[in-house]
This record gives sequence, structure tokens and C-alpha cells, in this order.
Amino acid sequence: MSTQKIVIDPITRIEGHLRAEVEVDADGVVQEAYVSGQLFRGIEIILKNRDPRDAGLLAGRICGVCTNSHFRAAVTSVEDAYSLELPNSAQIIRDLMAMALFIQDHVVHFYHLHSLDFVDITSALNADPKSTSKEAHKYHKKPFRNSHSHYESVLEKLSNFVKAGKLGPFSNGYWGHSEYKLTPEQNLVIISHYLEALKFQTTISKAVAIFGGKTPHPQSIVVGGVTSVADMLNPQRLNDYLFIIKNAKEFIDRAYLPDAKLLSIAYRDDIKSGVGRANGNFLSVGGYAFDDKELFCNGVVYNHDFENIADFEEYKITEEIDRAWYKGDSLDNEIEYTDFNEDGSLKTAKNDDKYSWIKAPRYAGKVMETGPLARVIISYKKENILIKSFVDEFLKDTDLELMDLSTTVGRDAARAIETGYICEYIFKLVSRLIQNIKYYDTETWAKYDFDSLKKRAKGRAFLEVPRGTLSHFIKIQDAKIENFSVIAPTTWNATPRNFDGVRGAYEEALLGLKIEDTSKPLEVLRVLHSFDPCLACAVHIIDAKGKNLGKYKI
Amino acid sequence: MRIIIIGGGIAAVYLANNLKKQNAHLEIILISEEKYHPYDRIHLCRLVDASSTTDGLSLHLDPTVKLELNQKIDKIDKKNRRIFSNTRMFSYDKLIIATGSLPVPLFNIEGISNATVFRSADDSRQIKEGIRNRNIVIVGSGPIGLELLETLNGMRDVSNITLLLRGNHLYTKELSIDSIRTIEECYKKEGKLTISYEDEIIDKIVKNSEIISLKTKKLQIEKPFLIFATGIKPNIESFRDTLACKKGILTNLYMQTEDENIYAVGECAEVEEFRFVAGHVKECTAQADAAISHILQTNIKKFELAISIDMLKVGEFDLVEVSSAFFTDSYEKVLISSKKESRIDEYFLNDNRLTRFIGVNSNVDIGYIETLIQSENEVDINYLYQNRLIGERGRLICSCEHVYHQDLVDIVTSSGISSFLELADFSEAGRVCGRCKLMVEDVIKKSQELIDKNIPRKSTEDIKRDKEIAKVQKRIDKFNTLNPRNKLTTDNLDSAMKSLDIAKHEINSWISMVTADMKLHPNFEQLVEDAVYNLNKVPIIWLELSDCSGNSEAFIKSTNPAIEELIFDYISLDYHELLMSASGDQSESILENIIKNEKGMYILIVEGAIPLAMDGKYLRIGPKGETGIELLQKCAKDAALVLAVGSCALDGGIVAAAPNPTGAVGVSQALNRDDIINLPGCPTNPTNIVGTLLSYLMFEELPALDKLNRPLWAYEGRVHDNCERRGHYELGEFVHEWGDSGAKKGYCLFEMGCKGPYANVNCSTIKFNSGTSWPVQAGHGCMGCTEVGFVDKFANERKYEEEKK
Repeated sequence: MSTQKIVIDPITRIEGHLRAEVEVDADGVVQEAYVSGQLFRGIEIILKNRDPRDAGLLAGRICGVCTNSHFRAAVTSVEDAYSLELPNSAQIIRDLMAMALFIQDHVVHFYHLHSLDFVDITSALNADPKSTSKEAHKYHKKPFRNSHSHYESVLEKLSNFVKAGKLGPFSNGYWGHSEYKLTPEQNLVIISHYLEALKFQTTISKAVAIFGGKTPHPQSIVVGGVTSVADMLNPQRLNDYLFIIKNAKEFIDRAYLPDAKLLSIAYRDDIKSGVGRANGNFLSVGGYAFDDKELFCNGVVYNHDFENIADFEEYKITEEIDRAWYKGDSLDNEIEYTDFNEDGSLKTAKNDDKYSWIKAPRYAGKVMETGPLARVIISYKKENILIKSFVDEFLKDTDLELMDLSTTVGRDAARAIETGYICEYIFKLVSRLIQNIKYYDTETWAKYDFDSLKKRAKGRAFLEVPRGTLSHFIKIQDAKIENFSVIAPTTWNATPRNFDGVRGAYEEALLGLKIEDTSKPLEVLRVLHSFDPCLACAVHIIDAKGKNLGKYKI
Repeated sequence: MRIIIIGGGIAAVYLANNLKKQNAHLEIILISEEKYHPYDRIHLCRLVDASSTTDGLSLHLDPTVKLELNQKIDKIDKKNRRIFSNTRMFSYDKLIIATGSLPVPLFNIEGISNATVFRSADDSRQIKEGIRNRNIVIVGSGPIGLELLETLNGMRDVSNITLLLRGNHLYTKELSIDSIRTIEECYKKEGKLTISYEDEIIDKIVKNSEIISLKTKKLQIEKPFLIFATGIKPNIESFRDTLACKKGILTNLYMQTEDENIYAVGECAEVEEFRFVAGHVKECTAQADAAISHILQTNIKKFELAISIDMLKVGEFDLVEVSSAFFTDSYEKVLISSKKESRIDEYFLNDNRLTRFIGVNSNVDIGYIETLIQSENEVDINYLYQNRLIGERGRLICSCEHVYHQDLVDIVTSSGISSFLELADFSEAGRVCGRCKLMVEDVIKKSQELIDKNIPRKSTEDIKRDKEIAKVQKRIDKFNTLNPRNKLTTDNLDSAMKSLDIAKHEINSWISMVTADMKLHPNFEQLVEDAVYNLNKVPIIWLELSDCSGNSEAFIKSTNPAIEELIFDYISLDYHELLMSASGDQSESILENIIKNEKGMYILIVEGAIPLAMDGKYLRIGPKGETGIELLQKCAKDAALVLAVGSCALDGGIVAAAPNPTGAVGVSQALNRDDIINLPGCPTNPTNIVGTLLSYLMFEELPALDKLNRPLWAYEGRVHDNCERRGHYELGEFVHEWGDSGAKKGYCLFEMGCKGPYANVNCSTIKFNSGTSWPVQAGHGCMGCTEVGFVDKFANERKYEEEKK
């Protein structure tokens, strides 16, 4: 059977340099898929021999999108190595920054990075404002900015843009592709929110900056605590933060969640036929404490078996590099770059051909999927009361089952659900912080004398961040970083194969995908975007072949 | 370094003063063969009619320059770098010869009391003292002769002058007969002048070192006083043996002679490449600038042939000449004359291009003529005719500065200037070659009554700004006429703003902020706004290389993100990986398209470092798997401007931190170019990106840059100096550990390793995320992310001084 290879590079509307190669048969059905990270920077090598206290500022630079996540994880791994106990208020400040970042990331991802895979701008032009208003009511009692006149004005501007040829991000898309399934009215609803979200995301980033100094690349976390104590003690700052989140919640409840429902209903066929489903292994390390509970539960699911959720055990993590551009038997992180084929395609023909800068993390030897979907499934199945009602409501309104979320559109749904309950969680955190301050608990730093800390130590941090599970591992020798290692969410999801040939989550999700028009592989983008790839994060090197990272455990 | 300058004229003094201005520590010796302090030769006529003294013509010389008079240098010892006069020896590190030129008499006049050339103060004195009761004979009608003629014509004790000319023309042989007649008439008004064309001296009787009578082809003149104003030659006889000479001492374009330590400047030098010998003050100073730049090795610039402007003012007529270096004899001439107004414009055309202009009482704007010659475009004759009366600015006063009568009156009245001295801040008129100084003074005097005491006076800054604004307006108007690159009109931007509910006052306030951040006067706001609307005329490629997308992220979360993101779309999203909806082949074709069709037009913004190790294969982009460096080179080649945004693009940033595993470098190093504008920061404040784009649109030239090629308006201030916690630093109030009572009170973070004292950028004034905060406000301190090698040097929480140990 003749197959055709499609190369997509660069994949846009993601962070970083991602390449996808898919082989389709005569019917356009994907038979094989390879996903490759195309940039190597070696931040872990750079971290070596430095003062452990500097790890945060440097590791934060791993990614400008997940910036706060790496900053925090690196610092946490150092604190873990030195067994430093963080003051509660410092913990809350870090969580407030992290949670605002969740909201920002998810909203930006849904509208600006992903929605144009589902929403056809040109079709929105044919929408009737009144019916649009009515359409929006199907998904919420009080939809966001839902007046006829508002839609009329959106339409007017939109038609101007389209008539004029292009406006920046709307240019040269796959408009008119037969895979666009929304009605003009549905398109208009989401486009209207797309425009609103441009404003939204900048306001929400202020929330991060209030305690972080700036974003991207906040600068207020230090080993032992946070530095923005003056901001914490300033009631105006706290009030500003809260106000931003309140407004954000309005948008999330009345626009984002309803839009996710709209998509889930409109693309029900895709969902029911499992488009974009990976192999059903899910991983979450949980976290974000509140009282005796946690916002996310930890757990591991194999093969979509939701009824048997195993506890997460870190010693089960291993990393492989058979198919990544590193030397298999070397202890020195040596690069083994085998280049492309002559025709500029990835070398994938042989079972041991290397084709990516992304290493291959495995849990109990298995490929895992991590991210909002994993968190939602695991937390829901573990009866997490902070979350359960949100999931139930969504599934009821869309007439879906939990299994249905393990699809392309389902991942977006999970992300939206998660954003909803994060807002609630933030309110709880803020009132806890106010309690602390009220009772003069204003400590933001765990005092230590660096020179009298252990000279040799190991630490690790497991953190759920917007795109999934992030882990940093540090080994300290003579008060210097001897080794540093990172497994980011995208490392899990975009992993290449291993010697066993088992595909990574991206690759598996692409398999069997039907591509209508191979010159416009919209379907491929859709699947990949649903994972919210972040390539700068993903590419990291490891210590040695198949190293059992659990040994870092103190 | 000891620099010796030989010469005592304008070129020599200009060299000495400007060398000192650039480096006060230089030892400079000026050696003149004359006995006078260097003086201004252009106004020698004033010594003839005693309207000035030698002291009065004396040129200002920096007092720290050592002056040696009466020293005629006749020998150079190149090997040992020494020069000799008949009595002294001087050693030098660099030698500049600026000996000017010598007049050439038609026969030897040495020892003759009533014959002279006209080139020095002594010559002038000889004329002044010797002409009484004599029949003056001037030979030659070049500018020098004509000026002297004008002076003598006006002197009471002169009654009889004969102008002896070999040819049948005045001033230059290319001048039309109409012009010659007009000039002639002017001179003859006094009734003293006889002009004898096609005539020359054929015999003379000399007795007791005195010419008693002269015989010419046509005349017999008794008791003459003979003045040769015939020609000049470079004054280089003493150097012919030691240096390569043709007409003058041969030099390269930096005015360096064959000996690397010897330069020649001014009328004594011959620029070999153009076979050019200077004849105007402007050319001499331009040569001096080239020589100085080369000697000091700073801002090195070559000497370039420029258009020369000459002027002659005699009584009621004035003559202006503008001439290109490319003027040749094979010209065609267009003559536009008006008998009634005694006005004659002579246009000389070579190949339909204007190469020279001579105007007698002309009304044409000299600046306009200069541009016309410079442009080298074909000239439309009708256009010349239509423009014959263009000048509404009155008579040309200063040809060097193109200042007309009305310009001066305007300056004087709008700024309330009462003296030549006060004018200095506003205009250089009368100060370049100095020829028109008296006229300028006269205009100032006569304009005093026009000054309205009730109108606020404009300061120099106001006038400068008005000029700047006019210039920017012009440039923006040019963009206004272009078609938008992305088919977005200003209407789209307006309606897009409306569709995002951005009110006009929000835009205005954003514009005000950007204007202030760019350190521009509020009067520029309208222009900034115009420039914003023109941003769609410039295609932009934004490349992400070895990066973390932090700068792109920052851009869409900035001060007024709704506006900025729109503008970002409006300008640039021709190619930007993070936000474009096209992927793979489609986005590639956009890129190829811009590079091919917008050569030299597009701006390239680069985010991220460039890994060079392993043939650059640590980063590959696009369906063909191009490496980062290949893609960068491809895009940069024909870009009008390359902006390196973020710290990684400056010098590799975090990616190039020790041990730099991927051999990463910044954009400038990767391209091996020093014209990249760097906007470092981790991330870079978006306002600084917008501001730089706007300034590209508004000002022809690049913004003023610092040593790291960072725009000064954004990177000039030290973080420490503008820090909100600076007061605590001065009071010695420091945070000593995280979260202590000082931290709660917002004390200075210096002790906690704040690198504000080592960082130059405007974070403390413009902050991040709509002015929400910045690292110092968040209690952490600065980590100097705008500086070279910041990751290895500054990215920690310890004091820099201690860390260095």
C-alpha cells in the first residue's frame, strides 16, 4: 500500500520548535507518526557547578511560557535537598502565582493557540446576531457579552478584517476546510470571546506580576521562601489580585467553560469515535494543599482503567534515550546527533534510529500522558471534593462520560473544567493568607545559614503545572550543583519511542487520524495543539541510560 | 601622543582645535612660518581698507595648543619622525601638513616695492601702504581679485584701477556675457575702473626696485601698483623630496600620505583617488575631520567629494555658485535671465543632469539647487523656470549654512536675539567661513525693531525641536504614501481598537506613555501616533531561535496589551511562530515571500541565541530542516534593520552561559555584523520594542546607541539611579535577610545582591505588566539581565563585589 509522508515544521501556535512527520495511506489515514523536538540548549549542563541557590533564576529560563513553573520547581528541589520547611504564607504566595499562571495559560491556550483549529473565522461572518445570542444561551444562563448589538459589532469588525485580507494571526489559516464543523453562530460566539480573551490574558498576567515582580520570568522566589513580602502586606496589592481573579472567574464561568461545552457538543462525533486518544496511561503527582486536602490528587492510570488507580511512586520513573540524540552508554551526557536523511526528513526507518532531542521518560516502563486531562481523571476518580462537582456538571451538560475526555476535544474540556475549580481554590487560598496576616504570621522566609547547610545533598520537586507533571532533580556536592535533571510535561507527552517501539502520547494520538486534505493537515495540528506542547520545556538530557531517578529520594 | 601641525591658516587651526576637543590630553604643536598668530585669510581685504587689524582677523586657537611662529619647516626625517626648521628640531608621533597654497605671480617680483601678490597679512599691508597716488593694476579676475577690486573701489584714496584680463570674461570663463555685463556695471559705478580684456603685460621699466611704468598689449600705465591675483599652487616645495606629490601632497581618503604618520590637509593636499585639491573652507574642514578620525581611530570617516558653494557679494549684486565635482566642460547651459531685475540664473547640465549653477542676484533657493545636483536625477527644464522665483526668503546671506535674509530675521525676531554672539546658539550663519559675518550683524541690527516683546521667545531647544518635528513629519508623510504591506488600513486598526473596546483616550494615554518612554518632547505625540498608524507599511519577520518564547510572551502581556497586541498584529505578524495560524509549508511560504519581495524593506526581529556548535544543528527549523544560523543568515541578508530582542539574542544569554554546551552566540556575533540593534532583557520590556520600531519609522537614522548597540533612550539610565528604593540606600537602610523587617518596609536590596548599580535599562521607570511591578518592587532586586554575560556574572542573590573575589 502506498503511503505519503507529510512533514509539518514549524508547528506554530506552540512554544518552541516542534516537527511532526506523519505517514498516511491512500485514504489519508495516519499509519505512522513521529514527533521531534528540534532545539537543544543544555540548560542542565549549564546549571552544573553552580551555587544551588542560583538554580531557580537559571532554570526559570528553561521556558518563557511556563516560566514560573521551572523557577519554582528548581527552588523547591533545592529546599527538598536541604530539608527546608517553607512558611505557610510563602507557600500561599507561590501558589497564588502558580494558580494565576494556570488560568492565564489555559485561557491563552484555548483561545489564541488552539481555537482556530476548530473555529472558522470566515464562516462566522455569516452568523445571525440574534441566533448567535440564542446559541450562546444553550451553554450558560448568562453568557458573557451576549447582546445582539455586541455580536453585530463583532461581526462588523470581523468583516472589515476579512475584507482587508488579513489581520495578523488570522492570516493564511486553513479557512474553509471541511473539518470545520461549527455553525456560523457558534463560530461567532467563540470569536467574540477570542477577542475578549486578548484583554483578559493581560489582566490576568498582572496577577502573577503583583507577587512575582514581572511575568514572564518572575523574580520573587528564593530558596527558603519568597521576597515579595512588602506586596503581601500591602492590602491594596492583595485586593488588586483578588479583583483580577474575580473578573477572571466571570469570564471563565460565562465564556470559557460554555465554549468548551459548545465544542464538546459540536464535535461529539469526533469525541465518540475517540479522535486523538492516546494509550490511556495517565500520571499525576497531585499537590497544592489546602487544610488536609489537596487540589489535585496523585495517581497513575493504566490503559484507561479508571477503576484501578495506583498511587504515584517516584522510584518507578525511568528515562530512556534509545531514539533521542544522546549517547546511550555514556555517563557524560554526550550528544550523539545522527542528523536528518538526505531529503531533510527524520531518520526513523530503523528501530534504533534517533530522531528527537526529547528524551523518553517512562513510568513503570510505560509511556504516560500527563496534563489537565490526567489530573481531572485521577482527581475525579479519587473523589476529590474540590473538583468532583465541576466534572459532574460538565459531563452532564454535554452528555459525555469520563472516557470521552480522553480525546482531542476532551483534553480542552478537561483544561476548562480545571480552570473553573482553580478559581474557587484561589479564593480559599487568599482568605487563608488574610487569616495568616491578621494573626501576625507574616514569615515569608525559612531562615538558614547557607554555609552550615549540608555540603552533599539530593533533592527533587514534583509539581503539577499547567501542562502536566513537572519534576526537577538536583544533586549537590561540595555545596555546588553536581547534577540537575528535568522532566517536563511535554517531555512525557512528546516523548519519542524507545527500543521497544512503543509510541509516545503525541504519536499514539495521531495514529488512525483521517486527514481530509494532506496539503492542509489541520487534523494533525488539532491533535498536537490539544496537548498544549511546550518544546523549550521538553528537551532535557539525563544522566545515563535508563537511570532510575527514584534514587534521588532522600 | 604628540601631534604637530604645520600651517597657520583656517585648516591648521581647525585641526588643532578639534583634536583638542576630542581628546584634551593630546599634545599639539602648531608651527607657522609667519610672524602672526594664525589669522583668517578670507578677510584680508579688511586689512587693505583698514577696517580691521591683524589681531582682529586672528583665529581662536585652543590655549593649550603650543604655537611656534616664524618657523619655516624645510626638512622631514620620516624615519625618526622629526622635522627641522633652520633653527629648530621637533619630533612628532603624527604630523599634519596644512601649509595651504602660494600665489603665483606672472614674473618674479621679489624685491620690487610696488608689485605684490595677495595672500597674506604682509601682502595686505604692502597694498595698503603702497597704493596712494598710484594707478592700481590688478591682474586676474578670480574671486580673490574681484573681492579686492570691490574693496579698493570703495577706498577714498584710490582713484584709478585697471583690471587686466587675459581672456574676455570675469569670474570664470563659463559665465555668460549677460552676467559679465551685470557684474561689470556694478564695479564701474564708482567711475574708477577700467577693464582691459584680452590684454596682458608685455613690458615694464624697473628702477630702484620700483616699476615705473607698465606696457600692456593695449595700454601704457605709469606709476603703477601691481597686484597679481592670478592663481595659486599648493605650498609644498619643502616636502617634494620626502613625500609623493603631484599637484599637491598625495593622500588617501583619510588624508594620510604615503607615510603612515604624516597627513596632509587642505589646499596643500591632493586626494589621489579623485585627483582633488581643495579650494573651499568646507572641503578643508571635511578633510580635517577625516584626518582627525583616522588619527584618533574613532568614528572613522572618509573624505568624500561634496558640492561646493561659492559666493561673491559686491555692492548691489551677489553671485552664487554651486558646483558638483562631476562638472565637466561638455556641458549644456540653460540661462534664465530678467533684465528688469538684473537677475540671471545659469544652469549647467551634463547628460541632462545639473552639475553647476551660477546665479547673479538669483532668487533660487541654494538648498534646493544643492539637492537637485546631489540627486543626479534628470532635470526638467520647465521645472527650473517655474522655480526661478521660488525664494521667498530674500537674499542669500550665508552660503555655507544656506541661510537667507528672511531666515535670519525669523530667528532674530522669534528668539529675541540682540547680537552676533547670541545668534551662535541658534545658527552657524556667519561662522563657517566667516565671509558674511558683517552682513549677518547688519541683519541682526536692523531686525531689532521687529522683535515683539510680548511674544514668548523660542529657545534653541524649541527651534531644534521644530526642525526635528518637521523632519519626522516629512519621513512619516513618505510612509503615508506607501501601500500597507499587510492590506490593513488605518481604518482597520481603528475599528480593531473599537472592536476591542479600546477608547480613544486609552490610545492617547498609551501614545503619551510611549512618547515619554522614548524620551521625546510631548510635541512629538501626534507624530508618534502617525507613526503607529504607519507601522503596517513595514513588513516584519520575528524569528524565534534558541529561545524560550519569553520575549514573545512578554510582548502580548505588556503595558496596554490590548493595544500593543493589536499593533503587534498590525505591524508584524507577517511571520511569527507563536501566534500565526499557518503552520509548516504555509508559514514557510510567507517567509520566503517577504524575503524575496521586500528586499531591504523588512525589519527582522530575532529572539533567542544561535547555537553554532555541531554545524548549528542543535536547532533546526522548517520542512527543509534549516539550521538556526542558516535561517538567520537568510532572513538577515536583505533586512532593512535587525533587532536582537532579549538577552539571548544579545550574547547568547542563558544558552551561552558557562560551559556554553551548544556554542551559542548572540545575533551580532552570529552574523558578524556590528549594525544590529540590541534590546536585551530577560524578557525585554515590550515598550522598548515598540519604541524602537517607532523610532525607525520616525527618524531616518538609527536611534543613538550605546557601546552595546542598545538605544540610549531605553538603556541609558542606571537601574540604581532611578530606583524607588534609592532613598533607603542613601540612608543606609538595607534588607539583610529575606523577609526581615527591612524587607517588609521596602528597604534597599543592595546587601541582598541587587545588581541595580551594574545594570543600565529603564525597568525602574516603566516597570512590567502594565506598570504592575518589577523585580526590585517584588523585593528580590535586579539581576542585571540587560548586560553582557549576565547569567554568569549577575544571576544570583549575592553582592557582586564579594562574588568576584
